[in-house]
Amino acid sequence: MAAQPSSGGVAGAIALPLSEQSVAPGGRLRRTLKISIPAGMLLVIFFLCFLGPYIFAVPAPTYTNILDANEGLFSAHHLLGTDQVGYDILSRIFYGGRASLEVALAVNGIGMVVGGLFGMLAGYIGGLRDAVMMRLIDVLIAFPGIVLAIAIAERLGPSEFHVILALTVFSVPAFARLSRAATLRVREETFIVAARLSGTRRHRVLLRHILPNILPQLITFNLLGMGIVVVLEGALSFLNLGIPSPQPSWGNMIANGQTVLTAEPRLVIVPSIALFVTVLSLNLLGDGLREHWSSR
Amino acid sequence: MSGESAAPAAARRAAAAPGAASATELLAVENLRVDFHSGGRHVRAVDGLNYAVRRGQTVAMIGESGCGKTVSSRALMGLLPRTARVTGSIRFEGRELVGLAEKRLRAFRGAEISMVFQDPTRSLNPTMRVGDQIVEAVRAHSQIPRASARQRALDLMRLVRLPAAAERFEQYPHQLSGGMRQRVMIAIAISGEPKLLIADEATTALDVTTQAQIMELLKDLQRRLGMTLIMISHDLGLAATFADEVLVMYAGRAVERAPTRKLFEQVRMPYTKALIDSIPRLDDPPHMELNVVPGQAPNLAALPPGCPFAPRCPRASEECREREPPFSEQEPDHAWACWHPYGPKDDLR
Amino acid sequence: MRRVVQSSLLRVLVRRLLAAIPVMWGVTFLTFLVMNLVPGNVARSLLGATATPAQVNAYEAQLGLNHPFFTLYGNWLGNILQGNFGNSYTSHAPVTSTIGAQLPVSFELIAYAFIISLVVAVPVALLAARRPNGIVDRVSMMFSMAGVSIANYVLAVILVWVFADVVSAFPAIGFVSIGTNLGENLRSLTLPAVAVAIPLAGFYTRLLRADLLEQMQREDYVVTARAKGIGPWRVILRHALRNSVFGLITVIALNFGTLLGAAVIIEQIFSLPGLGNGLIQAIGNHDTPVIEATVLIFALMTVAGNLLADILYAVLDPRIRYGSAAE
Repeated sequence: MAAQPSSGGVAGAIALPLSEQSVAPGGRLRRTLKISIPAGMLLVIFFLCFLGPYIFAVPAPTYTNILDANEGLFSAHHLLGTDQVGYDILSRIFYGGRASLEVALAVNGIGMVVGGLFGMLAGYIGGLRDAVMMRLIDVLIAFPGIVLAIAIAERLGPSEFHVILALTVFSVPAFARLSRAATLRVREETFIVAARLSGTRRHRVLLRHILPNILPQLITFNLLGMGIVVVLEGALSFLNLGIPSPQPSWGNMIANGQTVLTAEPRLVIVPSIALFVTVLSLNLLGDGLREHWSSR
Repeated sequence: MSGESAAPAAARRAAAAPGAASATELLAVENLRVDFHSGGRHVRAVDGLNYAVRRGQTVAMIGESGCGKTVSSRALMGLLPRTARVTGSIRFEGRELVGLAEKRLRAFRGAEISMVFQDPTRSLNPTMRVGDQIVEAVRAHSQIPRASARQRALDLMRLVRLPAAAERFEQYPHQLSGGMRQRVMIAIAISGEPKLLIADEATTALDVTTQAQIMELLKDLQRRLGMTLIMISHDLGLAATFADEVLVMYAGRAVERAPTRKLFEQVRMPYTKALIDSIPRLDDPPHMELNVVPGQAPNLAALPPGCPFAPRCPRASEECREREPPFSEQEPDHAWACWHPYGPKDDLR
Repeated sequence: MRRVVQSSLLRVLVRRLLAAIPVMWGVTFLTFLVMNLVPGNVARSLLGATATPAQVNAYEAQLGLNHPFFTLYGNWLGNILQGNFGNSYTSHAPVTSTIGAQLPVSFELIAYAFIISLVVAVPVALLAARRPNGIVDRVSMMFSMAGVSIANYVLAVILVWVFADVVSAFPAIGFVSIGTNLGENLRSLTLPAVAVAIPLAGFYTRLLRADLLEQMQREDYVVTARAKGIGPWRVILRHALRNSVFGLITVIALNFGTLLGAAVIIEQIFSLPGLGNGLIQAIGNHDTPVIEATVLIFALMTVAGNLLADILYAVLDPRIRYGSAAE
């Protein structure tokens, strides 16, 4: 990807038109839109989740008044209505989204730093130590998606912090693998070999030369990974192993709505749309950035 | 498969073709342009190329990589990527190829025009048996049963002198040597008895001995099958040995064209001279430095006005930097594009 | 020649198997570690919050849990190697028999979903790659992006609402076993399988399309194939797809865990008596032996799936099957 050296010299001129057949021939505008639209959507989502409650003057997500239960969409005091026990849906969407995004940011932040450094180090030193480090990662990756997270969340008990811990087990090895593969690719490039041979210290080569080259890939992966974490957090909460009720989460809202699905499909559909739009924005932005960086 | 059977068929087809320019002219390229547009960038890889090839001739297209020789030859077969726009005219036996629908163009590929590529490692499908890849080519243009296609593929393998053909038939490309792979590529290319074979740096990736063998094979097949050969190379020495005529290209343009002997006897264009000077010679003193064409290869996305070679040319004048010299036949059979060509008095080396 | 073939394939297989052994061991260790993250947790959660420390200790002794971690692990591993996963805390039945009954259900669901996703993804990716940026390509890329962005549990709940509640075309719950009636069995598995398959199909479609385009645009053998004058479908099927299959296998293997994970939550939503549903119930009951065994089996299945993909890769790729150059 971005790690490729600029194809200069003699071959460059023809290699460009013959091999660089961008999959999307759309011009610069199209590429810019593919990044700015999902980025704009994400900004709106973040804005609403973190500042929405102050702007729209919604009741607290855990405030309930049984007289207000089962209000429909666009009712007088509740824009998106209320659920069976009278919670305000809009408020819970805001706060639930905040929890999801906090979890996603934390899980991927930890994953990127810990996993990224781990993978970079393994790929850079190579040899037996690399093999052992990667077997460790293999062990973590062997646990299917959510299963280990379920087990950890069950043992620790439901809380936002425990969700973060449980899902980190999932993000760290993913980042480690990616950053190791990326490191292996850039490791043999001339400027890095030159830095190594000229006696630059290892941490300096890693941080000043390798890291900047693999960072775009890590960031793209971070966005795609955030989508996955948002979905997984929802899954844990859906199973009552995530954000503990009555704290809102899109996952436990869907689980709650599922019990009255036939009568009130709105209780499932509203958080489902929130979840879908958020994950879609993250995926689109990740995709757009990947395209941008690979065609640079 | 023999020349006797191919030649009358070719003659018949030529006679039937409407508006065939002349009985001897196989290919006429006029004002060929190839533009690439991708993500806001624009590159003109071939800019107003003109040449003609007579039946049975061997023409060498010479130039540095990026000079447009590969792009222009792929344009002949319609094998350019979708981002390419081809304009101008390519007439093959009087039939126009530019603008032809993909489906119509397909009838030419393999059957009338074939190509052998530079890197036989990459140009064969690694997951398919060698024999099946030849059979596929055989059956592309003739609806013969599998068994006869197989027999014909084996014949082709013998024709290109692949040892132990029956055994090789069952093998995968990675089990063959580079030279053998290139023979397989040649077998594929000649399977449809094409009239024109384009060898695109066909020997560049091979070692010197194999290189000579493959060139001999190509020349031999050309004689036996009555093919016309366009050999694309960066190596003027190779052209000197095998080609009847040489077309030198620079920055997507033709800059000099002449029969091989004439070109070496009286070179005109300074770029061609620089290429000739860079051929290592047997009478060079040992350990002398090899000559290379000085300066940087041109950047097609940002060519200077005037003659594109001017920045590297020892004879360039103010005029060269302002006006581009036209490419025209300035002596019988000898065309060049230069304001200050070398004359008969200029000593070669 | 034949001997060369076998030995080089065999070497690859043996190497992969040997590499899987430490991973499998690591998996058992990590499973056990996680289950014992909080000491005393098991007995406390079984007894409830009101239990005194003394009661907890007594109960731990009764369960045989009052030993150092490594002793417990050694015992547990030793038992597992003999096929003994212990007894459930709730039903007191051997864990192996419970899991033995659940395994076929999960397996069928996963296989069904996997087949649906491939049957959708491969033709769509081929059509999309045939004309990049054409109408089919754009529409299929839009749908596949939507597919990868939708959570399978959301999809499951919505499928239930539409197909079971609104049009009642499929049952929302009520699993019919394969032995009872195959048609009904497939009917009862269709909604859950679709819920698992759609995000997966979107993912496979996007990957396969990208790989096919990569082959079509960057690989010289595709140019050779086109230069032969064969038709575009033949080029894409016999040349590009043949080589893209390897990328797809790798991705499927890497993604196999996600497929298994998806089954967990989907089984719970549709009340399918599979491993995932069993796991969720065991978690509700704090039934440690069942949780341990199920988590371990999921992980071993992932390792086995990866191993299978490696083997498939080696068998399909002539470069591995026939070793390197014969010269």
